[in-house]
Amino acid sequence: MKADLNNFPQLNKTKFENRGKEFRLGIPVINAVTVGNSIAVGFGDGTVRIFSSGKSSEPIKAHKGIVLCMAKDGDHILTGGDDGRFLRISLDGNINEISNFGTRWVDHVTSKNGSVVCTSGNIVYLWMPNKKEPKLLEHDSTIGGVAFDSKGRKLAVSRYGGVTLWKKDYSNKWTSSDLIWKGSHNKVIFSPDDRYLVTSMQENQLHFWRLKDKIDSAMSGYGAKVKSFAFVGDSKYLATSGANDAVCWPFDGDGPVGREPICLPYVGKQLVTFVESFPNENAILTGLSDGSVYLSEIEKANNTIIIRSFTEFEVSAIAVTDDCSHLLIGDMGGNILWTSIWDEEKN
Amino acid sequence: MVVDADEEVFEMNNGCICCTVRGDLIRILSGLMKRADKLDAIIVETTGLADPAPVAQTFFVDQDVADRTKLDAIVTVADAVHLSSQLTDHHEAEEQIAFADVVLLNKIDLVDENGLEVVKQRIKKINPFAKIINTTKCGVPLNEVLNLDAFSLKRVLEVEPDFLKSDHDHEHDDDVTSLSFVSDTPLDMEKFQDWFTKLLQTKGQDILRTKGILDFTGESDRYVFQGVHMLMDASPMGKWPKGKERSSRLVFIGRNLETMNLKEGFENCKSA
Repeated sequence: MKADLNNFPQLNKTKFENRGKEFRLGIPVINAVTVGNSIAVGFGDGTVRIFSSGKSSEPIKAHKGIVLCMAKDGDHILTGGDDGRFLRISLDGNINEISNFGTRWVDHVTSKNGSVVCTSGNIVYLWMPNKKEPKLLEHDSTIGGVAFDSKGRKLAVSRYGGVTLWKKDYSNKWTSSDLIWKGSHNKVIFSPDDRYLVTSMQENQLHFWRLKDKIDSAMSGYGAKVKSFAFVGDSKYLATSGANDAVCWPFDGDGPVGREPICLPYVGKQLVTFVESFPNENAILTGLSDGSVYLSEIEKANNTIIIRSFTEFEVSAIAVTDDCSHLLIGDMGGNILWTSIWDEEKN
Repeated sequence: MVVDADEEVFEMNNGCICCTVRGDLIRILSGLMKRADKLDAIIVETTGLADPAPVAQTFFVDQDVADRTKLDAIVTVADAVHLSSQLTDHHEAEEQIAFADVVLLNKIDLVDENGLEVVKQRIKKINPFAKIINTTKCGVPLNEVLNLDAFSLKRVLEVEPDFLKSDHDHEHDDDVTSLSFVSDTPLDMEKFQDWFTKLLQTKGQDILRTKGILDFTGESDRYVFQGVHMLMDASPMGKWPKGKERSSRLVFIGRNLETMNLKEGFENCKSA
């Protein structure tokens, strides 16, 4: 009897795996961020590795425990760890400790236009450009996520009971307003056009606010927590994990209220654990709980290609370089694929 | 490794008012589970004034935590000298005794034999399941407090509740008490489910822990369950042992149990 390779699981290696580089590091991949044409990856042993074309990646010993969070900061990365350290790391591995919180974890980091943010417990520590001392923004409960808008004038802080939206006026003073929705809010992002704010919740659902009129609504129906979500293109769709399909909510026009999402199905009834938008296309990269990764066009049914075959470990990171030449996939089993995207490119 | 966090109780938006979880615990457990080096065990030390229910419920309600960890046991340290006054002054002390699988009755060197017995009886009245271990300076072999698997249904079968001989001990009026029921007449499954589901829906906030082994008419298997508030784990657990009488036993630990007509409800479940 012969296995039907059109069906799950995909056992043959894909062309991307054949021409790319595979690393079997055995250390859980926690996060990955794109810095230009390099991709920084944070691991469950506290190390960071930088992947870029034609260069080998050496582990940078950043944290003692794990790299809890990571963000791009210009041509550097910011990391926070369960060793209480908040670090700025250059692509060649120079580490600068911005702050140290001891036995308190650094849960979230972000930056925009030279402003640098980390959170520990219920406090946002905000370093304005060229300032030595951070400004402290305190909240009533532990912070679930932080995000700047595209201009860096608004900072959204998710927490228990909703989101605190901080705004900077032209005298650089920060004032806050509350967006309230019962429950615990985790990751938060602005839409690229800054019109919407989206959070994932402790429950298996997302919540969004339209900022101009504060209309808000839940996006529910998921079988699992929605840990990964990303806007596609200029806010046309919000692609989400947490179901067997990649669920893409329409955010063009008046937003998703009263409209159905587009659901992109994958064979094998695996859970979608990671989604990332594909630059400049109306398409997404979808990672599943078995380690397989697909590239799908949102509005064209059946236009899905497989990028990586299964590894048995859930996909925990996908990132594409800024020039859109390479992509990186990482999973919780410590397997990494670094590959060129287009056929004629070499690694 | 030691991690510091502030206690944060979250209400879940699932329509269940007693379904609270500890957000700090979810955050930290999620982080720990991503580590490259695997941990042998995680010990959660709460403050003396923490409600144990949200801590326990976190391990059942949060899917990620439930998938990757297992609640082993709740161990409560009680001060043999001060427990009586603490039980009177702080309802949290009662709850911590009520939820315990093991009570380390500490500082026994500072009370006389009679005093120790009084404290023990008081603990047993609140919680007939808990194994009470006498200690000084909490000196106890690790295998008495770790790897107990106290929340597995298998363990429910092994634990014989230490029921009080005298049922009417009115010396102390603790809010939290326990009530147990035994029946040699088999129960009607439908009637029981009806009664029990309604009971948990309406009184789940006051019912802290339940355990039971049930004999249903027409069923060859023993049914075993254990619950924390409204969260319930139940399953058939194999045949009744040969040569042992089939019987149903049910124990409630909770507040205001006397107002719930438990005896009547249980009696009504007996097969006609």
